[in-house]
Amino acid sequence: MNKLFGRAWMIAVYIFLYMPIVTLVIYSFNASPLVTVWSEASLRWYVALANDGDLIAAVWLSLKIAFLSSLMSVFFGTFTAFALTRYKRFPGRTLLSSMSSTPLVMPDVIVGLSLLLMLVSLQHWLGFPERGLFTILLGHALLGTAYAAVVVTSRLNEMDKRLDEAAMDLGCRPFQVFRLVTLPLLVPALVSAFLLTFTLSFDDVVLSSFLSGPGYSTLPMVIFSRARLGLNPTINAVAAVTIAVVSIAVIASSIYQSRAERQRKREVAQAYSDANQ
Amino acid sequence: MSTTATTDSAKPSAIRKMAPQELLRVEGITKVYDGSVKAVDNISLTVATGEIFALLGGSGCGKSTLLRMLAGFEKPTNGKIFLAGKDITDLPAYKRPINMMFQSYALFPHLSVWENIAFGLRRDDMAKGDIAERVESMLSLVQLDKFAKRKPHQLSGGQQQRVALARSLAKRPKLLLLDEPLGALDKKLREKTQLELVNIIEEVGVTCVLVTHDQEEAMTMASRIAVMSEGSFMQVGSPDEVYEMPNSRQVADFIGNVNIFDGIIEEDESDHVTIRCEECLHYVGHGISGNVGMSVGVALRPEKITLSKEQPQSEYNWCAGEVVEIVYFGAHTTYHLKLDSGKVIKAQELNNTRDLSCGLTWGDRAYAHWNDMAMVVLTY
Repeated sequence: MNKLFGRAWMIAVYIFLYMPIVTLVIYSFNASPLVTVWSEASLRWYVALANDGDLIAAVWLSLKIAFLSSLMSVFFGTFTAFALTRYKRFPGRTLLSSMSSTPLVMPDVIVGLSLLLMLVSLQHWLGFPERGLFTILLGHALLGTAYAAVVVTSRLNEMDKRLDEAAMDLGCRPFQVFRLVTLPLLVPALVSAFLLTFTLSFDDVVLSSFLSGPGYSTLPMVIFSRARLGLNPTINAVAAVTIAVVSIAVIASSIYQSRAERQRKREVAQAYSDANQ
Repeated sequence: MSTTATTDSAKPSAIRKMAPQELLRVEGITKVYDGSVKAVDNISLTVATGEIFALLGGSGCGKSTLLRMLAGFEKPTNGKIFLAGKDITDLPAYKRPINMMFQSYALFPHLSVWENIAFGLRRDDMAKGDIAERVESMLSLVQLDKFAKRKPHQLSGGQQQRVALARSLAKRPKLLLLDEPLGALDKKLREKTQLELVNIIEEVGVTCVLVTHDQEEAMTMASRIAVMSEGSFMQVGSPDEVYEMPNSRQVADFIGNVNIFDGIIEEDESDHVTIRCEECLHYVGHGISGNVGMSVGVALRPEKITLSKEQPQSEYNWCAGEVVEIVYFGAHTTYHLKLDSGKVIKAQELNNTRDLSCGLTWGDRAYAHWNDMAMVVLTY
């Protein structure tokens, strides 16, 4: 009885989570221009998407911003995390540690608004920066740095500090320790921080709206503004393509990870049975 | 202070046989944490070339802090460290000709065995060919030639331990530091590895300072042991000195098992002493540096006690009690004897025949006796 309830509950949750996505994908193949009425299957909206210059430009812009801002986030986030985990005492440490996590809890609207005000007055005094790609990048990097710092910090905290000491003991200067030992071991955390900040940036609409200038509309901004004018099924096609790309990436990475894990377990077991012979 | 001064000269000591050339000298080293906690309190020591010196103590006694100061990971608050006559107190870890084998090894998980061993050599300006040659010789020293390409997780615990040893020896350090070298191995593997480790260290001829909480490990590996507590050395000496002639109740209690009787010196002659305890009269067969009426402790190791069912004829060095516990260890059996005063003592009997020879069982009245050279008189 309990088991049955558990199973039913699980199915309900899955339906709640995935039904909208499945519906969206199905309706992207709908021939009718009305989003809610099914007529017949067609690729019409995919063709329309291929010819929709604005939408494609927005996709490219979003990808570009997501890529560059997550690189920046990971870079700054890693050094922030490193300073916070490895140096327990330096002037301004408390300030850095609280400032680096504020963007996590601060509402995006406030962050966006204050950044906008600052950039407007900067532009007024210095004639720089023009609002557009660069300012969106800055905003996304600011938010992403906070997230990346959290991911990298947790990895650094669970890393054996003795490895650093061993490297130093064997003749590494502090920067060599970072380059030859810490960094290689951080790679998985850097990859997940990159993926996380990439998605954050890719679907951010609030910060982008505040910080963009004429001619720089990211994909979420375009979808958002079109939705207000009445939804066009082309958007469904964009969404379906995005979902396909993301799902393939996620599935591939989890298959790779579980394989690597199984391989590792096999090797460990092998090592011990070898040693016992 | 040991009061058994007269037997000192009769005992051959391992240190005196060695070349007295000093390698490491530590002068009055102190480490204070957070302004008040003294982890290491004004310790001085010298280690001669070729020695294996063990720092033995419970957790929090300061042994690891001392080792980390030798390695250069911690800066001493006070005091100096000299290596081969050179002051290295302010030298950073990466410039010291000292290498360490870490507890649980700290092998680099992203590098192969070969690269782990070569890691330190690559930091020096060493020719590629020389590095390869050195790594090969290290691999054959620890008999891991076949495993050069494996990653650390593809090795068993014992093999990882040997890689760690090879890595710490590869740079030919003047001093090798070992942090709980066998701590991560299971008991069976320990005994085998202990001997292997000592053989390799002796083959290379490197001077060692090792840290351990395991007295057996310290006794079997080290040529000299420093027993530590609360940041200070309590006693420094060869393993047999520390075991047979502890200088305080704390050392006696920490190293091995011991029964301690409290008593008062009744008779103090140059060739013998008698000590009156509540439980019995001790007759010690050598003079001590105490005086009549002084209260002392008499330490008696369980293996030096013999049990019997018949009351001994002598008027001293025996006591009677009831067997309350029998712990069988295979090679020997430990009997817990509750004396009439309520004190419980332990006596260890060798199981030298297959039937449990002394035939005692729970509830029996038994007599414990020992000879007049079995005990140590402790004034602290």
